[in-house]
Amino acid sequence: MAKPKLGIFSLTGCGGDQLMILNMENELLDLLSYFEIKDFQEGSSYHEDVELDIALVEGSVSTETDLKRLKEIREKSKTLIALGDCAIGGCVQAMRNGQMSMAERMKKVYGVEEDYYDVLEPKGLSAHVKVDLEIPGCPIEKTEIFRAITSLLHGDLPETIDYPVCVECKLNGYPCVLVEKGMPCLGPLTTAGCDARCPGLGLDCIGCRGPIPDEANAAAELDVLLEKGYDEKYIINRLRFFGGNFEDIQKLTKKISERRNKTEGNE
Amino acid sequence: MEEGGKAALSKIAPKELVLSPAKIVKSENMTEIEKHLELEFQDKDYAKGFVYKPGQFVEVSVMGVGEAPISICAARKNPDILELCVRRVGRVTNAIHRLKVGDLLWIRGPYGNGFPMEKMEGSNLLLVGGGLGIAPLRGVLQHALMNREKYGEILVLYGIRCYTAMLFRDEFLHLFYEGDKQNVKFYLSYEDSSDKACYELACERSDRCMSGVVTKLFQLMKISAEDTYAVICGPPIMYKFVVKELLQRNFSPKQIYMTLERRMKCGVGKCGHCIIGSGSNIKYVCKDGPVFTYWDALNTKGMI
Amino acid sequence: MYKKLAKTEFPRFFEGLGNLGKVYGPVNIEGSTYEFREVQSPEEMDLKYTRTMIPPKKFFLGTKETMYTFDEEKAVYTPAIGKQEKTIIFGIHACDIHALKLLDKVYMDELMDLFYTMKRRNTILIGISCHPDEYCFCKSMGTSYATDGFDLFLHELSDGYFVRVGSEKGHQIIEANKPLFIDADEKDVEEFKMNEKKRLEEFNLELNVLGLQDMLDLAYESPVWQETADECFGCGTCNLTCPTCRCYDVVDYVGLDLKTGERVRRWDSCMLRKHGLVAGGLNFRPTRTERLRNRFNCKGSLTEGMLNCVGCGRCTVYCPAEINFVEVMKKVIGEL
Repeated sequence: MAKPKLGIFSLTGCGGDQLMILNMENELLDLLSYFEIKDFQEGSSYHEDVELDIALVEGSVSTETDLKRLKEIREKSKTLIALGDCAIGGCVQAMRNGQMSMAERMKKVYGVEEDYYDVLEPKGLSAHVKVDLEIPGCPIEKTEIFRAITSLLHGDLPETIDYPVCVECKLNGYPCVLVEKGMPCLGPLTTAGCDARCPGLGLDCIGCRGPIPDEANAAAELDVLLEKGYDEKYIINRLRFFGGNFEDIQKLTKKISERRNKTEGNE
Repeated sequence: MEEGGKAALSKIAPKELVLSPAKIVKSENMTEIEKHLELEFQDKDYAKGFVYKPGQFVEVSVMGVGEAPISICAARKNPDILELCVRRVGRVTNAIHRLKVGDLLWIRGPYGNGFPMEKMEGSNLLLVGGGLGIAPLRGVLQHALMNREKYGEILVLYGIRCYTAMLFRDEFLHLFYEGDKQNVKFYLSYEDSSDKACYELACERSDRCMSGVVTKLFQLMKISAEDTYAVICGPPIMYKFVVKELLQRNFSPKQIYMTLERRMKCGVGKCGHCIIGSGSNIKYVCKDGPVFTYWDALNTKGMI
Repeated sequence: MYKKLAKTEFPRFFEGLGNLGKVYGPVNIEGSTYEFREVQSPEEMDLKYTRTMIPPKKFFLGTKETMYTFDEEKAVYTPAIGKQEKTIIFGIHACDIHALKLLDKVYMDELMDLFYTMKRRNTILIGISCHPDEYCFCKSMGTSYATDGFDLFLHELSDGYFVRVGSEKGHQIIEANKPLFIDADEKDVEEFKMNEKKRLEEFNLELNVLGLQDMLDLAYESPVWQETADECFGCGTCNLTCPTCRCYDVVDYVGLDLKTGERVRRWDSCMLRKHGLVAGGLNFRPTRTERLRNRFNCKGSLTEGMLNCVGCGRCTVYCPAEINFVEVMKKVIGEL
């Protein structure tokens, strides 16, 4: 049987997810030998523009160039996999979404009225094209990509995780940094799969795997952290760090900024 | 547990939990998404002890993929053979569809209570099936036909989307035309009113086939609640509507049997996913069901 | 059978347990978080602990455990039953003993689960008396005292332990350590009885469970479910720290050769979205409200005549959203 053709691509992002694939040192050669690799920017300068069985795409759609490229990739790929937070929900780039226009931002940062770049509001791939599978992480986890690839090679769509980090904390028996130490842990909102690495080290989860879509209760997190004495703006910024494109967090941001504007207006 | 305990314990492990290999000996695409499989148990002793009733189900493993609950779609005739009807819908069932004749699956079971075939003896049977729901009812039908003298009139109401979505087409069309010879009346409804093949059936036998949802077929048939058991299986939305028709025709809640779908990982009341009900009445569909009466439904929150 | 173990003999008794297998006891791991960990000496343990975060079910129903390994070329599933180690759980509380009795019914009495049973049968349970904190309500659940379900139970006295022998295995331990145990005298019995009486008076939290099952039926449409679900993260902590929660999920992983792999089960939670989800996308409990209601109904229900809650307080103590189990129950049944 012919080997499946694989392409690994980057849109706007740090390239860290490709790097994680390269980091799978022990398994990498065996794993890649199952494929004909037609594109792997970070791994090789070789590239061939052909139809693909699987495309792994990291990075967010942040420019018109990204969008054009994504559509081309989608067009030629049987299975399209969004790799990492950028490709799922825009990741840190999406922090700015809904805050101010690019023109305003240019003015604020560079003091010019011009708009040089073909930028869009950074979004994940699924905002523009059909995505077959999303693998979260900033960056992705080696175990997860390994399982996803072996599962696909076996012929099956991989199992996805849609439970929060708290589950992994408990399965590992890690003391709860939120309950025990009052740290601003985002574990209750955040897609698991990291095996609760940070809480396991006594650190609070910053939500780097993104909020669980359509499930994470951001309003409850705000309430809990407010009660623990954290500043509202700090909490919102923390939620927006990896969750800028997440609907509930956007709503929450809007509600709070409206309320603030109102109180400021009254003063 | 002392020395040798491991071996001893493996021996006392219940046979219901053993994964037993079964070879696919027949595989037929019935529709675009449903396959009819005949599996042959590799362990003949296991097969001998694998006694099941219509309405029971098995957990099917595809190696390297996972396990899924599938209802048995035939009465037990040949003990070596297990018949399943599998819709391609998730990870495991998609993998089952990839397999070919000669490939192996692993079976655990049989699980669940099944239909009370003995209790229904001496009565008429009204089987109402929608879509894939006809699969477990086929077992009831076969059982009744194998023991024809023990049951009265058999009415089958089968709702399909369109002709090409009809399961066990040859078998059921045969019953549709010839069933009366065995005192079986087979009714068919189809949802896609533009479906030509179904339209032709409806023209030919307007007393047995019409366009619409399965409950429409109640217009066509005469039934007395006395001495009749109704047996329902279909998509979750269907139950309420069928039950309404039955209650209007004076069926008592305990005369109505239905089999339910839920997430069932273990099949034996342990993994917890198929839980339904409230404080005084919690049920595990896999263990306490999947067959329940409408009376159970009245007493169990969230059942239908 | 009752015996007495003097405090001065305790270290020798504990040391002797090491010959029977690996000893696990309550260890403080951080702040108020305790865990049953392997211990070599009594000093490593804190026997005044109130509760461990993860209940003792972890010894029998592994948090993540391989059930089978498989090999497609050989076409076999091999049950993953390794060498069974003898385990002594030292310092288990009455509530957790009751919880294990319930799990035993589900996992051993009805269609025996091989993986659970193997471990359970290789375990010795040694209970220890405790004092309630403000989250304990085992008294209301009838689980504050255990008369069976353990091998030995140590009730603390001023100068030792009043030891209740709960099984033949327990008796054997006493026999093997005969010089360490003495017969309890009248004074000891009096002290034990007095302690028990005093302990019952220490409970501040109560939940009336008479008719709770019907009350939950009647509260099925209560707005409290939604109100509570609005605060809830659906993170599953309540289930995962619950000593009677026993849901598990199963996943198959295939290895690098694409031919061999393993079937793994891990603790599941009915608060998680996929719990009621079937292939094809239909979810029988799609909202957090429905999942939360299901959880409370399950906890308030009976399995084989036993309540599915033993009043250990873990779900309240460890809930990141600070949802109070007893308070919600009381609100729902109209007592608050």
